[in-house]
Amino acid sequence: MPPTELILQILVNGLLLGGIYAVAALGLSLVFGIMDIVNLAHGHMLMIGAYVAILLFAEAGITPLVGMFVAIVLLFLLGMALQKVLLERVVGEGIEQPIIVLFGLALVLQSLGRIVLGSDARSTDIGIPGQGIELGPVLLSFPRTVTFVVAVVLIMGTWAFLQYTTTGQAIRATSQNRDAARYMGIDTDRVYVITLGIGTALAGAAGALLSMLFPITPFVGWSYLLKAFAVVVLGGVGSVAGTLVGGLLLGVSENLGTLYLGGGIRDIISFTIFLVVLIVRPQGLFGTGGGDEE
Amino acid sequence: MGENTSNPSRRTYLKTVGAAGTVGMSSLAGCTLIGGGGESDTITIGATVPRTGQFSSLGEDVERGYRLGETLMNEQLEEDVELVLQDDESSADQVRQSLQQITSNNEVDMLWGSFSSLLVTAGSAFAENQDIPFLGAFFAFEGPHRNEGYEWTYSPFPKSRDVARSTMGLLELIPEGERPSRVGIWEPNSGWGAEQADAWESTLSDAGYEVVLRETFSLGTEDFSSLISQSKSQNVEILLSNPTPPGGITSINQMEANDYTPKVLKYVRGADPTAWWSALGQKGAYACMCPGWVPGMTGNGNSEMKTAFEEEHGLDQGQLIPTAVGGAYNVAQVALQAVQAASSPSPEDLQSALRETEFATVIGNFTFENNGLPTEGELTAPTGQWWDGGQHTVFPDVDGEEAMDFKYPMAPWSER
Repeated sequence: MPPTELILQILVNGLLLGGIYAVAALGLSLVFGIMDIVNLAHGHMLMIGAYVAILLFAEAGITPLVGMFVAIVLLFLLGMALQKVLLERVVGEGIEQPIIVLFGLALVLQSLGRIVLGSDARSTDIGIPGQGIELGPVLLSFPRTVTFVVAVVLIMGTWAFLQYTTTGQAIRATSQNRDAARYMGIDTDRVYVITLGIGTALAGAAGALLSMLFPITPFVGWSYLLKAFAVVVLGGVGSVAGTLVGGLLLGVSENLGTLYLGGGIRDIISFTIFLVVLIVRPQGLFGTGGGDEE
Repeated sequence: MGENTSNPSRRTYLKTVGAAGTVGMSSLAGCTLIGGGGESDTITIGATVPRTGQFSSLGEDVERGYRLGETLMNEQLEEDVELVLQDDESSADQVRQSLQQITSNNEVDMLWGSFSSLLVTAGSAFAENQDIPFLGAFFAFEGPHRNEGYEWTYSPFPKSRDVARSTMGLLELIPEGERPSRVGIWEPNSGWGAEQADAWESTLSDAGYEVVLRETFSLGTEDFSSLISQSKSQNVEILLSNPTPPGGITSINQMEANDYTPKVLKYVRGADPTAWWSALGQKGAYACMCPGWVPGMTGNGNSEMKTAFEEEHGLDQGQLIPTAVGGAYNVAQVALQAVQAASSPSPEDLQSALRETEFATVIGNFTFENNGLPTEGELTAPTGQWWDGGQHTVFPDVDGEEAMDFKYPMAPWSER
C-alpha cells in the first residue's frame, strides 16, 4: 500500500493536470453540443495555439501567459473563418461531410506544422520559480498551479459568458432547438460562426497553457484530441461543469492509475474509462442525453 | 580521478597492441586490399540521421561524426568514399523509406545506422533483408542481436550489460562510507527499456544495492510527475533511466517543480545531446550519461578526431566535442578497418572482415561476435557527466585532459 502522502501528492498532481485537460476539452464539447459537429481538428487548433505562445516567447520574449491572449484572438478569428469558408457549405449535409472536411483540415495543419516549424519538440518557460508551495505533505508546483488557476478562470469565464450575455443565451437557445431559435429572431448562422470561434479560441488557450508544462510537436494534435474526447464523454457533451469535472476525473484517474498499475499503461487507463462511460452512461456524468448545455 | 577498477589482461594488452599496430601500419601505407593496384572504385555508404523529430538534438552531431569519418576514409583508402545521408525524421518508417531510396539510386556497399534503438533496429532490419553490411552505433539493445539472428548487423557500441557495469563502476568511485544504496529505475515500455532495467537491477542487486523502485512509463510521455512523486516517496538516491532526449529534459524541469533531487542521476541517451545544456543550463549539471564515447578518452585516433573536428567546426576555449561525434566517428573507423581487412568490397568479404578483424577505435578495442555484438567484456562503456556545459569522462579513470573527477552528490535545485 503506498503511503498516504504519496497518494495525496499524486491526487493533487492529477487534479492540477485535469484542469488543463478540461480546458482542452471545453471547446470540443461546446462545438459538439451546440453545432453537432465533431471537430476532428480540435487537437490541431490546440497545437497552433501552443506554437503561437512558443514563437512569441522565443522570438519576442513574451511570456506565454500573455501569448495565450494572442492565441485566443488568432484562433477565434481562425475558427470563425473556418465556419464561414469551409463548414457552412457542409453543415446540414449529413454527419459525414463535416467530419471528412475537419479530418482533412487536421492532416493539412499537421503537415504544415511539420514543414514550417520542423518536428522538433519545443516548449516555453512560465518565467516563475520552478519550485512550489508546500501544503503539509503535498507540494503544489508553481507551473502546474498557475496553469490550473488560469484554466479554471477560462472555464468559469466561458460559463459566465454563456449564462449571462445575450450572445451566450442565443448560443444556448440554438443548441436547444435551432429552428425555434431562428423563429425567435436569432441569427443561427452567426451563432455557429461565433461558437466555432469560441471553440477554437479555447483550444488555442489550452495549447498556450500546455506549452508551459509539456514539449509540443506538430504531432500532438491527435493525442490531445483523444484526451479531449475522453473528457467530453466523461462529463457530458456541451456541459461546462461536466467538462471541468470530466477533466479533473481523467487527470486523477490517470495519475492514480499509474501509481497502482504502472505508467506504461497511462493511456490505456484513460481510454478504458472512456469506453466504460460510453457503454454504461453514454450521455456522460452531467449530460441528459439530449446534448444540453449550461 | 577515481581509481581505475579495470586491470587489463595480457590478452587485452596483446589485442590492443596488435590492433594499434594494424591501424598504424595501414595508416602509414595508405593502401588497402580493395582495388589494389590503382583501381578507383567508389565505396558508397548509405545512412540516415535524425535531423528532425524527437532525436534531432543528436542528428547534427551524428552527421558531423560521419562526415569526419568520410574524410578519414577518403584520406586512408585509395578508393573514393561517398556517404549518402538522408533525414529520417526520427521515424522508423522514414528510416526504411530513406534507405530504400538511397539503395535504389546508388550501388551501396555498406549502411550506417541512425540514432537510438528504435531507428537503428529499423535500419538493421532493412540491411538484413537486403544482405548489406550494417554498422549501428547509438543503440545498446542486445535483444535483436540474439533473437533475430543478425548476419549483417554489427554494433560497435556498448550494450545494456556494459552500461550496467559502467554504472556500477561509477558508483564505486564514491567512498564506501558515503555511497548511496537506494536505486530507482524508470523503465520505458520498450524492449530496450526492459532489457536495460533488467541489466541494472541484476548487476546492482548482485553488488549489494537495493532496487527500491522500478516503474514503467510510456516512451514519449510528457508527464513524469507520478514517477517523481514515487521516487521521492521511496527516497530514491540513485536514479537510472533511458528516456528520449526531450523526455529527459522535461523530467528535469518537473523534478525541479516537485523539489526532488536524487544524489546520482544517470540518463542513458536522454542526457546525451548538447541540447541538454542549452535547454537546462545549470539545472542539467551533475547528470550522467553513457553515450559510447565521451571527451577525455585517449588513443585509437582520439587526438586525430579532435584535430579534424577543430579544423572543420572550430572549438572555443573550454568547448568539448559533442559525444555523438565520437560515437559516429568510431563507426567510420570500423568501416575503414573492415574495408582495409577485406579482400574485396563484396558484402560477403566485408562481412567476413567484420567477423574476423580486431578493431581499434576512439571508443576502445574490440572484436565482434558472429551475431554482431561486441565481444563481451572488451568494451568499457565510458560514463560522462555534465559540468560547466560540457560532458566529461568520469568513469573509467582515463588520462585525457577533458576527463574529470565524478561530482557527487547532486546539488539541490535551489543551490544551482
